[in-house]
Amino acid sequence: MPPAITVDRVSQRFAGANGAPDALALDDVSLEIGRGEFVSLLGPSGCGKSTLLNIIGGLIVPTSGGVRIGDVPVHGPLKEEVAFVFQESTLLPWYTVLENFRVSLEFQGRTDNWRDHALSALSSVGMEGFAQFYPSQLSIGMKQRINMARGIALGTGILLMDEPFAALDEQTRLVLGEDLSVLLARTGKTIVFVTHSLSEAVMLADRIVVMTARPGKIKAIIPVGEPHPRSPDFMLAPRFSDVRNQCYELLRDEIRHTVDAMREARDARSG
Amino acid sequence: MQSAARRPLSASAIRWWTIAVLIVLWEVTARLFGDPSFVAPPSRVLAALIPTIFGDPKLTQALGMALFEMVTAFVLAVLAGATVGIAIGITTLGRRSLFPFVLLLFGLPQVTVLPLVILIFGLGPASRIAFGFTHGVLPIIVTTVTGMRTVNPLLLASARSQGASQAQILRHIIFPTMVASVFTGLRLAMSLTLLGVILAELFVSSNGIGNYTQIFAETFKPASLYAVILVLAITAVALNEIVGLVEKRFSRWKQG
Amino acid sequence: MLAQADAQLRLTSLVRAIQLAVVVALFAAWVWVTSSHAINPLFLPGPLPVVNALARLVGTPDFWAAVGVTTLTTSIAYAIAVTAGILLGFFIGRSPTLTAAYRPVLSGVFAIPLTLIFPLFVVMFGLGPPSKIAFGALYGFFPIVLNTIAGFSGIDPLFLRAARSQGASRAQTLRHIYLPGAWPVVLTGLRIGFFITFASVLGGETLSSASGVGHAIAHEGDLLDSPPMFAWIAIVLAVTVLLNLALTVVEKRAVRSA
Repeated sequence: MPPAITVDRVSQRFAGANGAPDALALDDVSLEIGRGEFVSLLGPSGCGKSTLLNIIGGLIVPTSGGVRIGDVPVHGPLKEEVAFVFQESTLLPWYTVLENFRVSLEFQGRTDNWRDHALSALSSVGMEGFAQFYPSQLSIGMKQRINMARGIALGTGILLMDEPFAALDEQTRLVLGEDLSVLLARTGKTIVFVTHSLSEAVMLADRIVVMTARPGKIKAIIPVGEPHPRSPDFMLAPRFSDVRNQCYELLRDEIRHTVDAMREARDARSG
Repeated sequence: MQSAARRPLSASAIRWWTIAVLIVLWEVTARLFGDPSFVAPPSRVLAALIPTIFGDPKLTQALGMALFEMVTAFVLAVLAGATVGIAIGITTLGRRSLFPFVLLLFGLPQVTVLPLVILIFGLGPASRIAFGFTHGVLPIIVTTVTGMRTVNPLLLASARSQGASQAQILRHIIFPTMVASVFTGLRLAMSLTLLGVILAELFVSSNGIGNYTQIFAETFKPASLYAVILVLAITAVALNEIVGLVEKRFSRWKQG
Repeated sequence: MLAQADAQLRLTSLVRAIQLAVVVALFAAWVWVTSSHAINPLFLPGPLPVVNALARLVGTPDFWAAVGVTTLTTSIAYAIAVTAGILLGFFIGRSPTLTAAYRPVLSGVFAIPLTLIFPLFVVMFGLGPPSKIAFGALYGFFPIVLNTIAGFSGIDPLFLRAARSQGASRAQTLRHIYLPGAWPVVLTGLRIGFFITFASVLGGETLSSASGVGHAIAHEGDLLDSPPMFAWIAIVLAVTVLLNLALTVVEKRAVRSA
């Protein structure tokens, strides 16, 4: 049984704009993710974690190396296998919540029983009462909850989430994190989750992939070893702090490198 | 803490009181100092309203014709403007090469070509509709083109990741964005269309409502003249409000 | 890397090429249509007659008289509009209550075609420049006052609070927060106001006047003499474009240094 996701020596080089030098965003990254695993990509700004996520999902073709979903090489978006949840709500503002689900399922080519799929996905996050609302009438937390529900309704085996809770306040983040953990346990989806937040990564992930500053490489992979669904009490467990501190140690240098690099770049520009 | 007796005046109270004071001032100064050949107080204007507008069937007809011209010019401007705007704005190349021409036209005083338009389209409704059209079409093109640039790239990425085809993206993302941007220009287009039609109407004083304003001015009937102007102004406000309501109804999803 | 910069350059050159092609095509169409008499020369004279008329027109006493009248009228009208607009706009914009009270009224009136008032002005002030001054000043007043209100009322209250907490006096708050903050918006209003005043003066002269550029255009139209009419139109359009360019440059400089 092949792993759900195989990242095989992926590197990504971005052309510099307006005469700036090329940037190497990812450097020879390899990774295997098993079915039903929750993996978190953790790293400083600019380390390429979102780029890696987009490459896994087929939105970007890597400049070298490749990705396989199961044993299928990825050349473009695989709508049957992979669903995205982005940092900002991608609900189309001119449609109601329910209409958004219909359109998404239409994109995927699954139009039978779309209403049932939509409503059951909405109730799994407690949002079925808002089916007729327009996105502008909902708070950010509610919208992201619905985005999550949509990701699930698409019925894919893999869910790729790019800092989905970044725009939310701490409390909403904790609640949605809990819900996500429950959903994972229930549906057995494979989830790759990009985040800045150490606590979030430890709270949610089975394994944490810590990345270096640009160019992004995998610095370490830390297992968390706590079964899903996780209760909020896990945050109080000693193991939580241990893993968190471990990640912090690894990250601290990378964050410094990133800040130093920014300072150098600024000096180079003004010098 | 302020007691109930000294509540500060609300904004709308200030507004209406000011308007009331101005009207009273107009009434008083017109009666006391105004030359009755040129100036009419509001009371006399109101009194003259019905007799003037409905007294002469030809005048009522002229007013009706002006209304028809305004609406026709506006509808034509929206249809043509949206089409041209979409055609220009849909490609980066089209937008960057052709949009500057549109902006250039937008900045020119169109009144300079009014005599030319009359020359070409004659003295009847056609020239007024044409002049209203040229005034209204430009803001629609401008807002359509600028609005199309605001298609959210994240929505496009999301749709792509869901496996949407180009046709589906066009229909569910690009097209609604375009419609929304056309709508933001409607109110301005209506104001400018009205301006164009009225300019043309006043210029051609041999028929249409311009004829009557000229007659009333020359025969020293200021109350009638003011009455006609008042009716046209009210019509303009009403049309603006209608467009505003249509805009609101189609932008329901924007309200948060 | 080079590929990206290259693509940018190619796009820009293509854009310029298309624009040039459009201008050339329009001119070619003009020449072709008029020389083949496909359109009544009354509606569209050929380039040669227009150029001739232009040459005969510029520099004559009639030319200077018309230009002089229009320039003077526009200047006076604009001066009035600016003074009234900025004073009233400042007074209203500084108070949230007054802004809430009067801004909707002013926007609403501005949306009405104020050209309707013009016959009144002619009746009250006659055919000469004063009626155009009144009309131009009235119409130009609105964008100036509205933008000035927007500029002064749009100052982030956070900055005002910060200034007050640092003990700034009213004069200091005015000088360091209100003026620099409002300045760009006010400037835009002044620019829009100018072109509206200019267009209104021209409009008034076209509608009812015995002098000025607008009158000259209407007069040539009455005489069914197209080439001079087109010559005048060309002059007005050229002046408008140049003024627009000049004012854009001035505006950019002023905002940058403010």
